Amino acid sequence: MSRIVIDPITRIEGHLRIDVEVDGGAVRDAWASGQMFRGIETILTGRDPRDAWLFTQRFCGVCTTVHAIASVRAVENAIGLTPPLNAQYIRNLLLIAHALHDHIVHFYHLSALDWVDVVAALKADAGKASTLAESLSPWPHNGRLDLQAVQDKLKSFVDQGQLGIFANGYWGHPAMKLAPEVNLLAVAHYLQALEFQRKANQVVAILGSKTPNIQNLAVGGVANAINLDNQATLNMEKLYKVKDLLDEVVGFVQQVYVPDVCAIGAMYPDWFGYGAGVTNYLAVPDLPLDAAGTQFDLPGGTIFGGDLASAKPITSFADPYFRENVTENISHAWYDGEWTKHPFEGETVPKYTKYEAGGKYSWVKAPRFQGKPMQVGPLAQVLVGYATGHEPTRRWATVALEKASAIAGRRLGPEILHSTLGRHAARAIRTAILAELAQKHWKLLVDNIAKGDTTIWNEPVFPKGEQRGFGFHEAPRGTLSHWVVIRDGRIANYQAVVPTTWNASPRDEKSTKGPYEASLVGNPVADAARPLEVLRTVHSFDPCLACAIHTVDVDGREVARVRAL
Amino acid sequence: MPASVVAPGFVQEPRFAETAQAAVFGIGNVLMGDDGFGPYVARVLEASCSFPPSVTVADLGTPGPDLLTYLDGLDLAVLVDTVNAMGRPGDVRVYTRDDLLRHPPGTRVGPHDSHLKEALLHSAFSGGGPDEVLLVGAIPHRVRTGPGLSPAVRSAVPLAAHLVIQALADRGWPVAFRRHAPPADIWWEPQRPARPLPRTA
Repeated sequence: MSRIVIDPITRIEGHLRIDVEVDGGAVRDAWASGQMFRGIETILTGRDPRDAWLFTQRFCGVCTTVHAIASVRAVENAIGLTPPLNAQYIRNLLLIAHALHDHIVHFYHLSALDWVDVVAALKADAGKASTLAESLSPWPHNGRLDLQAVQDKLKSFVDQGQLGIFANGYWGHPAMKLAPEVNLLAVAHYLQALEFQRKANQVVAILGSKTPNIQNLAVGGVANAINLDNQATLNMEKLYKVKDLLDEVVGFVQQVYVPDVCAIGAMYPDWFGYGAGVTNYLAVPDLPLDAAGTQFDLPGGTIFGGDLASAKPITSFADPYFRENVTENISHAWYDGEWTKHPFEGETVPKYTKYEAGGKYSWVKAPRFQGKPMQVGPLAQVLVGYATGHEPTRRWATVALEKASAIAGRRLGPEILHSTLGRHAARAIRTAILAELAQKHWKLLVDNIAKGDTTIWNEPVFPKGEQRGFGFHEAPRGTLSHWVVIRDGRIANYQAVVPTTWNASPRDEKSTKGPYEASLVGNPVADAARPLEVLRTVHSFDPCLACAIHTVDVDGREVARVRAL
Repeated sequence: MPASVVAPGFVQEPRFAETAQAAVFGIGNVLMGDDGFGPYVARVLEASCSFPPSVTVADLGTPGPDLLTYLDGLDLAVLVDTVNAMGRPGDVRVYTRDDLLRHPPGTRVGPHDSHLKEALLHSAFSGGGPDEVLLVGAIPHRVRTGPGLSPAVRSAVPLAAHLVIQALADRGWPVAFRRHAPPADIWWEPQRPARPLPRTA
């Protein structure tokens, strides 16, 4: 029995420590620990509820838009305010563009190095790689010359010893199994992905006035004045720019991202067998089609024990099935006490003690739904959609599974999705659905404006006394909910239950593991000093422990480390 | 400007304007005390000065891997941030790209890392620029939950702003001070002038 500590593990904001016990070449037990105090919610107490979103969008620099949206929805829910339809459509377009950007970045820039051996791409035959690519997709930029140019560039980088860019990848690891040609394609698409994530981000910038911190939200609607003849407002020119950008991103998602994930998945079939972990799933509905938020383009619901027949829908922004069933437990988290509380009653009183695997070991609270740990994220989104008969989810899941089956030479059915690679596949499926819906919601907005409706905001009025509200958003990393208590027009309590809190949850009072922890048990580990397999499973969740600080370390101190004890 | 590696025929936005492009980016978390230094300086510059159209000034918050998106297409990037270095709180240091890349990112991707090193290496590989990178950094006094700069770091704001202006001027981007400058919008600071209370029924 040996113990491996990986600290930190994310390639994104935050600080996550993973401890695993390895015996006989496989993980026997695991602990996930958030190593940085959150508690930014406490800053909100006493503030004007109309300003909360400005602060919440600074919780995390990567997830800015999602915290802004969840916050305005929570305040609107508390005071019973319905934003106008235009505001819902503009928010929807922002959310979709943000998610497209985020998923493309996650796959190509934050997790592909777990599967792709960059250096091995040098051995590829560009002609063969091009033939392979053209058999997978009609994408016009997979030609031999395109791929040769990428390989030449890579070679010059390697020759100059400039591989620092990929220094945190495990090239040459025995668990790397892609053919050189597939590695080359992945490097080429990594470069192209830089272009397309930028285009998605431009949509956020146009509609949100700025990125990464958007300026156009307001409790009660949006601040995008609509006047089709005015240069300073949202006009047809800007709307068509948005459409052009979205159309380009849609092409990349459908013709590059989805086939790439299918190809990589099919070449690592073992990884459809590892990493399931917690098979209770939670997703909330999103992309409202009406002002009040009772009809949605993306379905929400719960699934317990991996049984799709158990799916129960969450149907509105006010659904009590969600509101009544969320709790957080701090038995194993560094907060004062041992309680389980509903977020309206939640407290954030830090009490740090030492790291004790059997006691308190994380700054992350343990959220539960009906007392059970839940996996959130694209896999939950896709499984809830699949189980509830959501047509685009069924269609894109079928496309992806058939493509992967054809490459693997054997049938891969929906059951393989409960796995490490299943989370990547589900993220690609979800991105394809979002891409389609981007075009639909653009049209809904333009049609509504064409009817003469230019309303964008309804004024909030705060009654005397106390109101409680919650707002959720099905963010790229999964279910995000903000919970606010307002007293006499001021915030009395504010709690955010974020996707990574669900997935990186520590054990609860019953010692039930959270999703990261459970998903690691049974994973193989070929080399304890280079635990690539552990990173594969944790990265598949797209971890983001928000609220990091950003001091640049210039003195060369070693921060990241792997210890095999 | 290095040629893009993305092959011929690949559809790209025209990225490189005819005039050279520069940007000043404030980086840091405004909810974490002195970590808000970069955004604070960016907002002071935005309010106090007028810049040529080819210069962008922005408070980027903590963009993480998205920083790459903002560096793309630039000739000069001036980043303002807090730095973990030897010295006293409020000391201001200037670093070049070579200083920042002296240590590879693989072993140093820490919680405080803005992915700056990774972003610089990625942009070199993709050929998107920037040609020159400067980091104007202040050593923080306290980085903890709650907005507001410590006195030592607040007193470093004018020097950092001056260094940014000088760096731009030296490279051919003149910066003028506004005669009637509005106050900087430091909305997260506790002493922000209160706006009228919301309507209550």
